[in-house]
Amino acid sequence: MSETIGSPTTTTTTSAEIILRIKDLHTYFYTDIGISKALNGVTFDIPSRKVLGIVGESGCGKSVTALSCMRLLPRSAKIPKGEITFFRHKKNGNGSAAPVEEVDLLKLDTMSQEIRNIRGAELAMIFQEPMSSLNPSYTIGDQIGEAIILHQNVDKAEAENRTIKILDQVGMSNPKAMVKRFPHELSGGMRQRAMIAMGLSCNPSVLFADEPTTALDVTTEAQILDLMRDLQAQLGMTIVFITHNLGVVAQMCDSVAVMYLGRIVEQASIEPIFYNPKHPYTKALLNSIPHAGSREHKRLLPIRGVVPDPYSSIKGCPFHPRCNSFMPGKCDVNVPATVTVDNGHTVRCFLYSDEVEQQ
Amino acid sequence: MIDPVIAQSGDDVLLEVKDLKKYFPVRGGFIKKGVGTVKAVDGLNLFVKKGETLGLVGESGCGKTTAGRTIMRLMEPTGGTIRFNDPKQGWVNLEKMNRQQMRAIRPNMQIIFQDPFSSLDPRMTVFRIVSEPLVINKVASGQELNDRVAELLRVVGLRPEYMSRYPHAFSGGQRQRIGIARALALNPKLIVCDEPVSALDVSIQAQVINLLEDLQHDFKLTYLFVAHDLSVVEHISNRVAVMYVGRLVELAKTDDLYYTPQHPYTEALMAAVPKPDPHMRDRPIKLPGEVASAIKPPSGCYFHPRCRYAKDICSTEDPPLKMVRPEHWSACHFAGELNLRGIVPTN
Ligand SMILES: Nc1ncnc2c1ncn2[C@@H]1O[C@H](COP(=O)(O)OP(=O)(O)OP(=O)(O)O)[C@@H](O)[C@H]1O
Ligand SMILES: Nc1ncnc2c1ncn2[C@@H]1O[C@H](COP(=O)(O)OP(=O)(O)OP(=O)(O)O)[C@@H](O)[C@H]1O
Ligand SMILES: [Mg+2]
Ligand SMILES: [Mg+2]
Repeated sequence: MSETIGSPTTTTTTSAEIILRIKDLHTYFYTDIGISKALNGVTFDIPSRKVLGIVGESGCGKSVTALSCMRLLPRSAKIPKGEITFFRHKKNGNGSAAPVEEVDLLKLDTMSQEIRNIRGAELAMIFQEPMSSLNPSYTIGDQIGEAIILHQNVDKAEAENRTIKILDQVGMSNPKAMVKRFPHELSGGMRQRAMIAMGLSCNPSVLFADEPTTALDVTTEAQILDLMRDLQAQLGMTIVFITHNLGVVAQMCDSVAVMYLGRIVEQASIEPIFYNPKHPYTKALLNSIPHAGSREHKRLLPIRGVVPDPYSSIKGCPFHPRCNSFMPGKCDVNVPATVTVDNGHTVRCFLYSDEVEQQ
Repeated sequence: MIDPVIAQSGDDVLLEVKDLKKYFPVRGGFIKKGVGTVKAVDGLNLFVKKGETLGLVGESGCGKTTAGRTIMRLMEPTGGTIRFNDPKQGWVNLEKMNRQQMRAIRPNMQIIFQDPFSSLDPRMTVFRIVSEPLVINKVASGQELNDRVAELLRVVGLRPEYMSRYPHAFSGGQRQRIGIARALALNPKLIVCDEPVSALDVSIQAQVINLLEDLQHDFKLTYLFVAHDLSVVEHISNRVAVMYVGRLVELAKTDDLYYTPQHPYTEALMAAVPKPDPHMRDRPIKLPGEVASAIKPPSGCYFHPRCRYAKDICSTEDPPLKMVRPEHWSACHFAGELNLRGIVPTN
């Protein structure tokens, strides 16, 4: 299982356990009021066949990271710098180790046949707003069937059979009737299941799930989370689970990447993130939430200030104006580099190393 | 019939809602045959004590917002009584009041809305938004008005210099503070908070929750706090009411409701709370199916099709609300007999 296929142009530590490698990714939006620097050097590896959570406050770049990988950014966006490598595992049915091919996703034209083949079939995404990503004028069956026809080279009848099977898999009662329904005829929970079914329809290697349960009630959310965990285990999928709900992260993820203002500030497996967080931002996020089931009434500890707007630029560590551990003359001068504090636990903070990010 | 939930209009009670109903007519959709009725609130009973926070929870569409607005007479009730203990007039029946009579009561009851982005008029400055209730009620004018608005902004942690700005120049948390400043303008007794922090990031959410707690303490406010985040509700509430399809199914002190629930629906809610602790992933109870329709609710107990404890009687007879333990009400035929699990305590 430790097969490594390194190409001369990429790093030599490529492992078969990584499915996507994102390096120094910069994504900017060019708008009327200036350049919005949504991603400012995002670097992280996405482990294969695991659930990786991406957390952080609104606007920190969670969705843009996923859209950049999917090559689905709007026209106003540019990627001036960075690499996204997809380690494509040739599918061989039984899920055993197979040769890996490296695809440089950013080199592909967004309209090329190759990216279209990858999108949906190998990298799929569940979008943040189900209503805006389901077409209101087509039935659920037609929308899921279309993706299947596109990628799996089957006829309409077979596509419908497969659609019914997937709807059944995602726990829709009476899937035969469901394929004939329009999105507005479904409840929020059922729509979300339809979205997941669409994401899964081509059995992708990586599923980006962008806030897939945020709009749902706790009981429905619990159903959907159970479903996603079961399917992930069953199909051996990689899930990138984007959310701002730390409770959901704790329930779902094997590892977590914490984002702040377009950068990953900490990444580790799930337990160290919750029981031994390093970055002051991660600690602050955990302290700010009420914990259900704690009898004593502790006052919440909010993070002071607000996320700065992405049009401005902050000198030094972008979190320093809100940080309780701010060290003047250090944090407001340079950007800390990402350093490894423990096996697989990385953090970007001068509390742990003086190493400065090279610009 | 005297409903057990209703306190006897005691002096420590601020609001009493009895058999409150709000029906909406619906057309089209799946009900092709003419007009149906959504029973958004269908016989709600509760009371709110002076100075407490009563949490109101339940799944989307169960009628929380409709209940809050109907209680405030922002919507006309279809039936039932809403009694308010007005500081000047004493007990009054809001459902019987005409517009003019309501005008005298209204300053005592305010509402904070869910969405800080659409609830403030984008064409009004912060000054106008916050001062409007004071102007309408002719409480202050001129320099006094200015001073009062500045004071209100300070109270909610905003700088008075922001007065001349427009809402778009503020973040979500700041906008929610503007809404709170406006709600406080007339020194209300009761504030209905309809999902006041749901649209906010966790960090900002904590700021607003702390602010609401401080204001409650400083101004002896009473909150009816509507939310679906059970962690937030546990944190802020003294007592909690659980609704299911337009009805109250359980009401108790927060700890009693969370640790020793007396209704199977509450038990399922508690089990579904996503705990921010990766060691607490096991969910002993899973709630199947979807929330019942408020247009065509099931027979008997509305919860019976999803209930793991349902027996024959549950599909035929509607369970009345009964007091199971002191100050703990449940609308379940088997309340008190079932051994239900509460929330798993956090270490
Ligand atoms: N189409 C766009 N045009 C301009 N700026 C954009 C666009 N899309 C995103 N951005 C900006 O990029 C930054 C990152 O946005 P992104 O949507 O990734 O945030 P997020 O972490 O997903 O937040 P949320 O939790 O609110 O979904 C934000 O500052 C946002 O304003
Ligand atoms: N103006 C209206 N006309 C028709 N039906 C309505 C109207 N307002 C609410 N409803 C219906 O009444 C029911 C209760 O809605 P309400 O908004 O009170 O629920 P809620 O508990 O606040 O839900 P949420 O958690 O989603 O805010 C729903 O079925 C809703 O569709
Ligand atoms: Mg997003
Ligand atoms: Mg509501």
